[in-house]
Amino acid sequence: MSLLERYVQPTESQMPTVSHQGAIPAGQPTCTIWIDGHEVTAVVGEAILRAAQRAGFDIPTLCDDEKLAPAAACRMCLVNVEGFDRPMPSCHLAVEPGMKVTAVSDELFKLRRQNLEYILSDHNAYCMPPCQIGCPTHIDIPGFLELMAKGQHVEAGRLLKETLPFPYALGLVCPAPCQEVCRRGLVEEEIAIRQCHGYFGEVYLEMDEAPTPFPQRTATGKRVAVVGAGPAGMTCAYYTALNGHAVTVFDQMPKQGGMLRYGIPEYRLPKVKLDKELNSVWQLRDTEFRGGMALGRDFTIDDLLAQGYDAVFLGIGAWRSNELRIPGEDLPGVIEAISYLNQNARGDPVPVGKRSKVVVIGGGFTTFDCARTSRRLGADVTVVYRRSRKEMGAHYSEVDDAEHEGIRLEFFAAPVRIVEKNGRVGGVEFQRMALGEPDASGRRRPVPIEGSEFVIECDTVIPAIGQVPNLDWYDRSPGLRKSRRETIVTNGALMTDRPGVFAGGDVQMGAVTVIQSVAQGKLAAKAIDRYLAGDDMAAVAEEIDEEEKVPELIDIVPYKPVEPQVRMPFLPFEQRVRSFDLIESGYDKAAAEKEAARCLQCVCPDVGRCHLQRLSLEHGLTDNRFHRAEPVDYHDYEYDFSHDFILRDLNKCINCTQCVRICRDVIGANCYGLMGAGYDSIVTTPWNVSLQYTDCVSCGACAETCPTGALMMRERDLRTYELDVVRCIYCGDCVEVCPHGALGETPNFELASYRRFGTTVLAKEELAVARTWKPSEHIPANGDGKAAVRPPEVRPPAPPRWGA
Amino acid sequence: MPANPTLLEARATRALEAIGETTPDELVALIERSGLRGRGGAGHPLAHKLAAARAAAATSGASPLVVANAYDADPASPLSRTLITRGAAAIVDGVAIAARIVASSEAIVYLHPDAKSERAAMERAIAERRPRLGGLDVTTALGPGGFMGGEESALMNVLESRRAMARQRPPYPAQQGVAMRPTLIGCAETLAWLPLIVDGGAAPLTKLVSVTGAVRAPGVYEVALGTTLGAILEKAGGADGALKGIHVGGPTSGILAASRADVRFDFEDLAAAGVHMGSAQVRAVPATACIVAEAARLWSYLERENCGICVPCRVGTARVTGILEGVQSQLGRESDLAWLGELGDHMAAFSLCGFGLTAPSILRTTMREFAADYRAHIDERRCPTGTCAVVRSRRYETMAQP
Repeated sequence: MSLLERYVQPTESQMPTVSHQGAIPAGQPTCTIWIDGHEVTAVVGEAILRAAQRAGFDIPTLCDDEKLAPAAACRMCLVNVEGFDRPMPSCHLAVEPGMKVTAVSDELFKLRRQNLEYILSDHNAYCMPPCQIGCPTHIDIPGFLELMAKGQHVEAGRLLKETLPFPYALGLVCPAPCQEVCRRGLVEEEIAIRQCHGYFGEVYLEMDEAPTPFPQRTATGKRVAVVGAGPAGMTCAYYTALNGHAVTVFDQMPKQGGMLRYGIPEYRLPKVKLDKELNSVWQLRDTEFRGGMALGRDFTIDDLLAQGYDAVFLGIGAWRSNELRIPGEDLPGVIEAISYLNQNARGDPVPVGKRSKVVVIGGGFTTFDCARTSRRLGADVTVVYRRSRKEMGAHYSEVDDAEHEGIRLEFFAAPVRIVEKNGRVGGVEFQRMALGEPDASGRRRPVPIEGSEFVIECDTVIPAIGQVPNLDWYDRSPGLRKSRRETIVTNGALMTDRPGVFAGGDVQMGAVTVIQSVAQGKLAAKAIDRYLAGDDMAAVAEEIDEEEKVPELIDIVPYKPVEPQVRMPFLPFEQRVRSFDLIESGYDKAAAEKEAARCLQCVCPDVGRCHLQRLSLEHGLTDNRFHRAEPVDYHDYEYDFSHDFILRDLNKCINCTQCVRICRDVIGANCYGLMGAGYDSIVTTPWNVSLQYTDCVSCGACAETCPTGALMMRERDLRTYELDVVRCIYCGDCVEVCPHGALGETPNFELASYRRFGTTVLAKEELAVARTWKPSEHIPANGDGKAAVRPPEVRPPAPPRWGA
Repeated sequence: MPANPTLLEARATRALEAIGETTPDELVALIERSGLRGRGGAGHPLAHKLAAARAAAATSGASPLVVANAYDADPASPLSRTLITRGAAAIVDGVAIAARIVASSEAIVYLHPDAKSERAAMERAIAERRPRLGGLDVTTALGPGGFMGGEESALMNVLESRRAMARQRPPYPAQQGVAMRPTLIGCAETLAWLPLIVDGGAAPLTKLVSVTGAVRAPGVYEVALGTTLGAILEKAGGADGALKGIHVGGPTSGILAASRADVRFDFEDLAAAGVHMGSAQVRAVPATACIVAEAARLWSYLERENCGICVPCRVGTARVTGILEGVQSQLGRESDLAWLGELGDHMAAFSLCGFGLTAPSILRTTMREFAADYRAHIDERRCPTGTCAVVRSRRYETMAQP
């Protein structure tokens, strides 16, 4: 028997091929089977799976194709059949009259889930990038990191600014939810995504005109008023202006920036550079800033609409600190956190100095801004929080830094009263707390321990336990609704109950992070654009809801060699005392590009089409127990991207053998087979050569049938072909067969290649040179140091121009 | 008829002449009455296979094929080779009887590629008995080597010049086998019983076993079905030193504690004890061996030897090996035992062929009978025998992904 001889697979002759859609063709002998208690008509001898699919049952499978003989390899379609003591593959078992099949059961679900966990544990590839999903504004992180690693800074900036207009500011102050979920963290350490876009932001500050995601659209003649020049308002203004509307930004403060300027201290975000970055909004046409205008004091929403603004965006933030509601809160020496930061930012005198003893109560970002500011003013600072370090709202790096800067941290203590001494604050009495059951936020609720009171002596208390929006103007704004948490209520499109009035950022969500405000500003700009175009806002709200839905991630086990994060240079701790110098000095070009290159690019082009992904989501594969073992436990194959039309990535192969069967049984080229033994078995070409050295006919059937992204069609990428100049006889056969029509004949029966700017008649020499002059090839320099256009020895005579 | 004959002692019979005009149906009935069960491990009654192959040939019209599986997948259990060396003629006669029953004109004796002298012996025997075969064409074929080469459905693929990979059954080989032909695949040892049964009505009461490990005289022995494991070890000279366990059935089967030497070597009794006859290897595991390391070694063998077609076997064997090696390297955790149980159950339910369906026996028996060995590794971070080397420095972890 020869190796190439092909036998009919056992069940192939037995199983009639009836489409899994539509009706059974007339004349086929049928029988009745039961699937999950439902009566199903099946063609005698066909597979259970086929009958089930036709009847609308969704039995999972990864290796079944109705054109092919079944392989029963993926083991996903196993069902319980009466009379068999274990589950049988429905793709392989022929129906018999009266057969009773159970396709859905908890037990089968668990077994299939285990099967998928196995597959994903050796699927050395990625699916959706968790960073992009984790980022509130959904920056295309793998995309900009890839461009960055290639050094394409302006392109990267365009991509970045599609969703994030202020990469420099966010590069310094963002808590980076993207980094917490970065898959590189599964290898060793996450990518420093925040620092990377921070580096970009800094590059754009130096440019005369910052890149925009797209050229500003032509003026629409509509006018939009944005109230609040904070992150939400400025983002909204940026995108609204780009959309071609005229924008006026009002702010109660004289200068732009909102909390970025008046809340976040200088050592975290230098205001000079912040201004430079925010100025990118004013570089756009029809934009205007009007400082010192407070809503409610200087104008109302009605005023704005009366002045001819077509839409209003409220991004006024949350500037009112929560009260402690304990005795002694009104004593001198108790400072409101926001106004304290505000005064410090403006350079006004603050009631904290060298000999102050300060207690800051809370665990959020504001808490640490107050504490670290006080520390820099020379005070002795203690931060008291009622839960543990883990539950703190501030980013862990900020907590660690504060501790290193000499700030004392006191956990599990809640204030009971403020102790009076000589008519002002003399200390705070605290009670010890223990953690009880988790509350609505998922954090464990602190429970007081009786009799554990103690006093921390101090002269200044800064309660920083969160902020709410200041809604003093609310009563004079008809049509708006506020929640119990003192925030403005909007629909999914961020529009309030009053048409044309939008709200976003802290005023809509309560005090949140900068990036969440940016995200809302971006969404609001989109909604405003749609509103001004006269769209139905309920439909827009639905659309945004759908887009913002967080997709579930499946847990796959990647394997990559270890390469640690590029470290950001930091200001030494000893230099931070009494200094408001910026702590993070930023990446330089080399460091930024090196860090960007660490990105695993964990995006798969097959997302959305991949059956493995779909089944994994359906089976809730949110965890995988097979991470982090020895390298021998995983496979790390090399890609085969050398074929002109088909991309092969064995790392994504799940050995379903569909390509093997389709190439052998349908196409006849027989390019694939299983190689290796045992766990190392893998579907590949004979001797694992590149696909282009097989009998491949480039039909693409394998890529079409592949359930994952292991085989994919390549975007057309035609390169020059080799030409043996000695043997070419200008027969023109190549003209006949060229599938792309790239070659032709001139009236004189010469060969011509069709180029973008006309036809070039090719001499033999030219054809030959065409292959030696690949764009990727290195062109040696001339003696004078200038790069030669081509090596002189292969330079052809100037081609004669057709028609000249 | 004196004492019931045994395979290794049997002289050449005149079975082919004795058949005479006996009809195939009578022969099947005779074999059914003898109670002959497959010696390849699964213990399927041979008469059923013969009848099925005969019926399939009659209905499909395809010419049936007889294959004697003399592959000896388990390298430590060379039963077929022993049989060929002692009396290849019995196998040829058995193949001829089976071929006569299923009306086949072609038969293949399937051998391991290493069994060179046995192949020569087999071919000599075939040549010698050719005049009596009545036109039956018996040839030999070599498998690819490796454990899976002996699996019945992989064997069919090999005979079709394909990679030795398991096929889903049903349809069984007797219905659709090599190249769609009804194929009777019997272990050489099973088929060798046929002449004894046909000529003289012998009862197939004995089984070849390969006794290995810590015994004084390891080798192939023929024992009566139902002999206790202890008696089998005694037959091989008795244990060489203190024993910890008895590994019955080859690489995919489990290990019983030495105290269970009273378990009878029989299809049902072995199954009741959680193991199976498999390759009929009986290995004495010495007291110095750590069972966790033994289990890890067996699974690592399975990880290398599986055919790679189905997920539970290809990936599952690797993952179980990883967990066991983790335990062996003192990286085990309390939850690992339940986890191993879960993975074992999955494999026993979802695997494609007997390889994966039976392999969890190793986990089930060792975790039940040698719980102390696992416990010492997991709780006290030490090997109870002091023999385990650290084989890996990282274990499987669950990483929280968003």
